Amino acid sequence: MIQWWCAAQTVAWSWRWTPYPGVWLFVLALVACYAAIRRRALANGADAQTLSRRLPCFAAGAVLLWIALDWPIGALGAGYLAWIHMVQFLLIAMAVPPLVLLGMPREAFPGRPSSVRGSAESSGVRSPSPTASAREEDPPRGSRATRFLDHPLFALLAFNAVVVATHLPVVTDTLMASQWGSFLVDILWLGAGLLYWWPVVGPTSPRPGFTPLLRMGYLFASMIFMTAPGAMITFSEFPVYGIYELAPRIGGFAALDDQRIAGLLMKVGGGAITWTAISIIFYRWQRDEKRIMDGELAAITGAGRSTAGTAAAGGAGVQ
Amino acid sequence: MLGVGIVGLAVTALACGPAGETGADRVRETGFHGVVLETPVAKPDITLRTTDGRPFSLRERTEGALTLLFFGYTHCPDICPVHMANLSAVLDRFAHEVRSRIRVVFVTTDPERDTPDVLRAWLDNFDADFVGLTGTIAEVEVAQRAAGVPLAAVESNGTDSYTVAHASQIIAYSPDGFAYVAYPAGIRQVDWARDLPRLLEPQRFLAAAGAQP
Repeated sequence: MIQWWCAAQTVAWSWRWTPYPGVWLFVLALVACYAAIRRRALANGADAQTLSRRLPCFAAGAVLLWIALDWPIGALGAGYLAWIHMVQFLLIAMAVPPLVLLGMPREAFPGRPSSVRGSAESSGVRSPSPTASAREEDPPRGSRATRFLDHPLFALLAFNAVVVATHLPVVTDTLMASQWGSFLVDILWLGAGLLYWWPVVGPTSPRPGFTPLLRMGYLFASMIFMTAPGAMITFSEFPVYGIYELAPRIGGFAALDDQRIAGLLMKVGGGAITWTAISIIFYRWQRDEKRIMDGELAAITGAGRSTAGTAAAGGAGVQ
Repeated sequence: MLGVGIVGLAVTALACGPAGETGADRVRETGFHGVVLETPVAKPDITLRTTDGRPFSLRERTEGALTLLFFGYTHCPDICPVHMANLSAVLDRFAHEVRSRIRVVFVTTDPERDTPDVLRAWLDNFDADFVGLTGTIAEVEVAQRAAGVPLAAVESNGTDSYTVAHASQIIAYSPDGFAYVAYPAGIRQVDWARDLPRLLEPQRFLAAAGAQP
């Protein structure tokens, strides 16, 4: 019988390719959604070239998602190796969402209230390249729903609740044993990841007051939250996930070693992604601050020159 | 031979549990995470050969030790390596005084493929102290009957390779020579870690549950 989604198996692992049609349909559905959003953006007057520049981000996200869900990573992570399961988590919740969101055409989203226009989008990951169009630098704020969903506090709590819950042994052992359960875990990771990354790299402009400093704090706080399940997995005296402990072993990994690698991956891999994002925000923040200061300095210098010139001219005139 | 099928049947029956009784109930009552046998089973008087070709009398050579007896085969894709790996991981954690009182005895149910060298090498992957026993197919069948487990059966898949269906439980014979608890597939390291020290003196823990012989 063909399985439609990767789930834990009771049989020994085989390197024979196995199709998972549900994964293909899911990724295709994501691509179809993107195509629809892109069409909407074009209908809203988006520049096709600008949209094309965003396409690689989305494409990378979609490919990574497909790799994470399909055979062999999906199958290995669902029921054989905890560290592969963690790689899946990092890809689906931490790597794919920012790529997908960065690839989203901003013009496809509803316009924001004029009072918000021009606020806060001065730096950070969101900040487009200096050559980006004015439309990109001032993206729409979004509907009431998206305004709620991209509330950083809500996103932070929701994401970390999902992270903690889906790494509880009883939850993992129960859900990964069935295709629907495994599907639910993957959907939760992707959904929570999109929610989490939306305030930082989402296609709507950032919330007013959500400054680069706060964005960095937001990411850092999440890293702290993730320390709890990471530590539990890393430092447990015995394997905590029955599904991986009792799975036929692959590659000589002892169950506890497998689990410890998983815990370390959560900490190190999650930390690496988070610190990369924080670094980019910081770099762009500093770059934009410098640009503003240079602009002000230029304005002052220009005004000074102008004043001096006027004074000289005046003086000359007086003279 | 009177014990034929007792452990196998008991494990099968008790794995499902009496009506209304859950695994958690049994653990709460007896303190053991395995399946507590309704009637304790004496250690079988069997003699097979070790991987270095010497005769090994189970009763004599394991007298006074907690003996974990398991019938399996080295080509087993799932249950055997998991059982052995988990036991090995847990035994490594015990102090020498405890560890030295526990013997793991693995009897191959596939003596044709499991030559002494193959069996030894496979067991060494887990623990060099694990005892590997082999014999003719007939001798191994006698040993299975004596231990009261279902006989292993070859399952051909139409190619040169084949699998062997075999009993999945590890029978734990306490130092007094009786098995009170058996451990089916699915027993975890944390369960072994809690149960093995108790199995060194099971009466103390079973008395409260009324399961003493």
